[in-house]
Amino acid sequence: MTDVDIRLRVNGVPRRATVPPRLTLADFLRTDCGLTGTHLGCEHGVCGACTVLLDGEAVRACLVFAVQADGAEVTTVEGLTPPGGGLSAVQTAFRDHHALQCGFCTPGLVVSVTAFLAEHPRPTDEEIREALSGNLCRCTGYQGIVDAVRAAAERGDAV
Amino acid sequence: MAPPPEQKAPVGRYTGTRVPRVEDARLLTGAGTYVDDVVRPGMLHACFVRSPVARARFGAVDVSRALRLPGVHAVLTAHDLNPGVHEQWYSLNGRDDPDTPRPPLAEDEVRFVGDPVAMVVADDRYIAEDAAELVVVDYEPLPPVVDYAVALQSPESVHASHPGNLVGQLAGRPMADLGPVFDNAPHVVSRTLHQQAHGPVPLETRGIVAEWTAAPGEMTVWASSQAPHEVRSFCARLLAVDENRVRVVVRDTGGGFGQKVMPQREEMCVMLAAVRLPAALKWIEDRQEHLLAAGQARHEHGEVRMAFDDDGRILAATLDHVQDAGAYPTPSPVRSGIAVGLLFPGPYRIPEGTFSSRFVFSNTSGRVAYRGPWQFESMAREVVLDAAARRLGIDPVELRRRNMLRHEDLPTVNCHGMPYDHITPYETFEQALEMLDYPAFRREQEHARAEGRLLGVGTCTYVEPTAGATPFHSTEGATIRVEPSGKVSVHVAGGSCGNSLETTVVQLTADALGAAIEDVGTVQGDTAVTPFGGGTGGSRSGSMTAGAVAETAAGLRARILAIAAHRLEVSVDDVEFVRSRATVKGRPEHGLTLAEIADIAYFQVHALPPDLPAGLEASGRYRTPHPMIWANATHVCTCEVDPRTGAVKLLRYIVSEDCGPMINPSVVEGQIYGGTVQGIGGALYEHLAHDDDGNPLATTFMDYLLPTATEVPVIELGHVETHGPGPGGHKGVGEGGAIGSAPAVVNAVADALAPFGAEITRLPLTPATVVGLLERSGAVAV
Amino acid sequence: MKPAAFEYHAPVDPEETVALLARLGDEAKVLAGGQSLVPMLALRLAAFGHLVDLRRVKGLPGIEHRGGVVRIGATTTQAAVERSDVVRDAAPLLARATPLIGHFQIRSRGTVGGSLAHADAAAEYPAVALTLDARLETLSPRGRRTVPADRFFTGTWSTDLAEDELLTAVALPVWHRPRGFAVAEFARRSGDFALAGATVAVGLGPDRRIDRCAIAVFGLGPVPCRARAAERELIGREPTTEAAGDIADLAVSGLDSVPADLHGSAGYRKRVGAAMVARAWRHAVREAVHD
Repeated sequence: MTDVDIRLRVNGVPRRATVPPRLTLADFLRTDCGLTGTHLGCEHGVCGACTVLLDGEAVRACLVFAVQADGAEVTTVEGLTPPGGGLSAVQTAFRDHHALQCGFCTPGLVVSVTAFLAEHPRPTDEEIREALSGNLCRCTGYQGIVDAVRAAAERGDAV
Repeated sequence: MAPPPEQKAPVGRYTGTRVPRVEDARLLTGAGTYVDDVVRPGMLHACFVRSPVARARFGAVDVSRALRLPGVHAVLTAHDLNPGVHEQWYSLNGRDDPDTPRPPLAEDEVRFVGDPVAMVVADDRYIAEDAAELVVVDYEPLPPVVDYAVALQSPESVHASHPGNLVGQLAGRPMADLGPVFDNAPHVVSRTLHQQAHGPVPLETRGIVAEWTAAPGEMTVWASSQAPHEVRSFCARLLAVDENRVRVVVRDTGGGFGQKVMPQREEMCVMLAAVRLPAALKWIEDRQEHLLAAGQARHEHGEVRMAFDDDGRILAATLDHVQDAGAYPTPSPVRSGIAVGLLFPGPYRIPEGTFSSRFVFSNTSGRVAYRGPWQFESMAREVVLDAAARRLGIDPVELRRRNMLRHEDLPTVNCHGMPYDHITPYETFEQALEMLDYPAFRREQEHARAEGRLLGVGTCTYVEPTAGATPFHSTEGATIRVEPSGKVSVHVAGGSCGNSLETTVVQLTADALGAAIEDVGTVQGDTAVTPFGGGTGGSRSGSMTAGAVAETAAGLRARILAIAAHRLEVSVDDVEFVRSRATVKGRPEHGLTLAEIADIAYFQVHALPPDLPAGLEASGRYRTPHPMIWANATHVCTCEVDPRTGAVKLLRYIVSEDCGPMINPSVVEGQIYGGTVQGIGGALYEHLAHDDDGNPLATTFMDYLLPTATEVPVIELGHVETHGPGPGGHKGVGEGGAIGSAPAVVNAVADALAPFGAEITRLPLTPATVVGLLERSGAVAV
Repeated sequence: MKPAAFEYHAPVDPEETVALLARLGDEAKVLAGGQSLVPMLALRLAAFGHLVDLRRVKGLPGIEHRGGVVRIGATTTQAAVERSDVVRDAAPLLARATPLIGHFQIRSRGTVGGSLAHADAAAEYPAVALTLDARLETLSPRGRRTVPADRFFTGTWSTDLAEDELLTAVALPVWHRPRGFAVAEFARRSGDFALAGATVAVGLGPDRRIDRCAIAVFGLGPVPCRARAAERELIGREPTTEAAGDIADLAVSGLDSVPADLHGSAGYRKRVGAAMVARAWRHAVREAVHD
């Protein structure tokens, strides 16, 4: 099968690569770019652990082929950290509210919540839970996560 | 409840506070290292060829087409790998424990859908999956034993070595002994309750990287594991490699919940294959493999009989319990399964009782440990208590009040010989009911019923043995090193998989030494540099690491004080050491930092007090004198059932628990929340179902339904604090949430349906199941 | 869980696209948002020698309201629909159905055309198209044509589209006011495919009686299904919520190929379907009466 040349920006860094068409964006990010913060929890689009921003929108990186990201701007969890280091507002809220335990689902949640709050800066609790329903967490029972999203929204500078 | 003075935990400055987790910075930024993040030079990738049928004989496996595919390095079958097994047993159970069969790859016969038949090794996982499709296996189907509940009567055997499919059985006194009590009791309530197969399902699937270095004969394994040292010992025995030539590295593990306490067949295959390969071999289980083959739990049923007097006091209780072992349980379920019977009396005054437990093979995936593996004791007891309350016409809370153990009953021994002490079931029960305002809920329920709305409330109170002292789990070690700079490294075995063991150990060490917490770091999960330890499991880490740290830090702190006293020219009794600084009592300006003390210990050894060793490092090992440390909790839940769809909406969820003094309240709460939601999933959503031919019906996350944020209520917590007998008074809290929740939810639904006489006998309570119950009771038209 | 290998094509021109489809025949599959296709490829439930990606094809995305019709291009994402004021004002049923599709991370990639062409029996968009008497616009090497929604969905995951035919847009007639719309569905969890669902559209005449009515159920057969008998009964009637139960029973009474699986029997799904029709009917009627 014919490999395809792609050009894209990942966390602001321009990248060129030649990839097999079937390579998922998630595997491209993890293997070719070495960005292992994007996790694979199901590879069929349900768990949300692989969520990244594609041209600013939260998407399942396991349901996008790398070739489809040609020309796009991709942001992974590694790219959400402020330039000087430290944690973003969403990351800080997660830490402050014990919104993570094993951490495997966490990158997908952080990316999803970042995108959600950008579009819904003042969500209700019901909207928060609805928005979180696309990310599975097996450790926290979602209690701290809901609190963290609410806190990040109340801070008002989540994104 | 004031503990005896000698049991009082030392007053720590960090213990008991919500110290931010040391794990979080890396996990929040994508900088964690899970096993799939490990990359080795020239690393190869494995994929298993798995049985598509529940039971079949098979002959030769044709690997020729797969081997011809470019990028394929090997296709290995049982013929290649299985003879490499030298010894195969788990440290947790010991060499002599009767075990069940566990071949790395299937030999001649496959025994469940997903049974690994061959392993492909290729340049990457994509190619490995391509090649797996090209492996040809000729299956001759055999009649499968799908339903464990009738397996004992089946003419077919899952394993020829076990005709009749009985793995083992255990029992208390003969049921017939209790005959007179039941015959003469004013009221006897009996019920058989079936719980469905479901399981731990961590978000990170299983995975392993094994790298063999032939010349020195050394194996390095990166694993997703709760017990790195179990993996190392297991690997050493499996391959007949000296244990000190096997190194297991576990950095971050994406959830375990019991599933990852032991390596299973696939991990054995990777270890066995790695010694034949020129480079590291990685296997990362995909989600479908996980739901097919990583194991199941909770699949069991039991007939409960309870005898009551006219006042609702329990006279006797029995449990006839049968548990599904699947085809290849890990480990044999017998030893852990007996806990169901032993704990069945729970926190109640039950003067007489007995139990029988049988463990049965079936042609489904093997049983594995799952958070509170004996949970069925609570499910069986609490659901039948509610049924009995309805039968006797007594409010279920009142029935429990008449029977529950109170402070004045303790210590006591339950009718199966379990010695209870330091528990507060009645206190948690009353606290949880007060948080709910139980009478107010009953009034609300009455109004709702008048409007045709179905509200219900359910409770579950349990007692739970934590930090059990099996031989493998009875000790825990720590090495604490004050580095020359004054920074502190504490090394423990680890096995953390979300349970915040790094933060816990840092808190405990800072307090035990008197160090500032920011000076303390921890190294865990690498067998090359950590003391042997049992890993996470059995709700043991809090108590056992507290013991290990206390044991180790005590001597080290004494040395720190001695050096400081010597340099400050005062008596040791006059030295205070707080936040990494030693001062003379009453003269806070006169002191030494830990960095200065360390400098003396390493680089000014002439200035050390006489007889004090150089350096500042100590190792210690805590050995628990307690067979177990009891913890307890009460779960209370309210729900509304939609009679049109059968949907169950949880309204309020309350947990009151007693885990002793909390090391870190955030961590404790997180454990309870997570366990509770797993129980909610088990009661309402999760089902590893099979059809009549043994085909699994839930092999993706579209069908295996983990609760999401929209299905889960706000969980309210209450805390009752009694000191346990162990280090710091801490009790285990890792598993309890997953024990108490499902019975509370089931009871809430049963209560909602009670006006129609609907009685629950099968789980999970899917909407369709609930509608079926309503239809059968005539509450709604069929 | 990795997809089998395929050749990748990303044509730019619509005619070039259908010519490519014609040349590749049944070896090819159209890739739009991929939110249904890629999981099937990853699970190796499906494999194709060629994927033809629509992401660069000109003229396919877009939403316009003209001449009493809302026309939505095939590669318009569900997220774009969700954010569209035009859709919210002129095709409220589509707007309300959209948030029920999967989760927001799915809707950011999933497309209107992809959902319609994939034709999952439990999906929302086919039911909406059927309810609103949508017309589906297609292109093939033989030219353009328009297919009414009630002829487009032919079976489980199958449509009237030929192998070399591309769905280019869906045209939704804008209903006159007063009108009311509702969608109700029941899923095990938020975002899951519905076990059963219903869409209802009600229009009132100058006499405030029902002069137009459409009821569809989904998840209750291989394709979404209009409840024509119930609709006929309702024309000319007063818009009331009292008859909701009878309407619901009538709507599901004729269904004879209701699926059954782990999550519920056929009988259970029919019961839930009826409950959803009743719920949607009450909401739609209330809205129409107050419109």
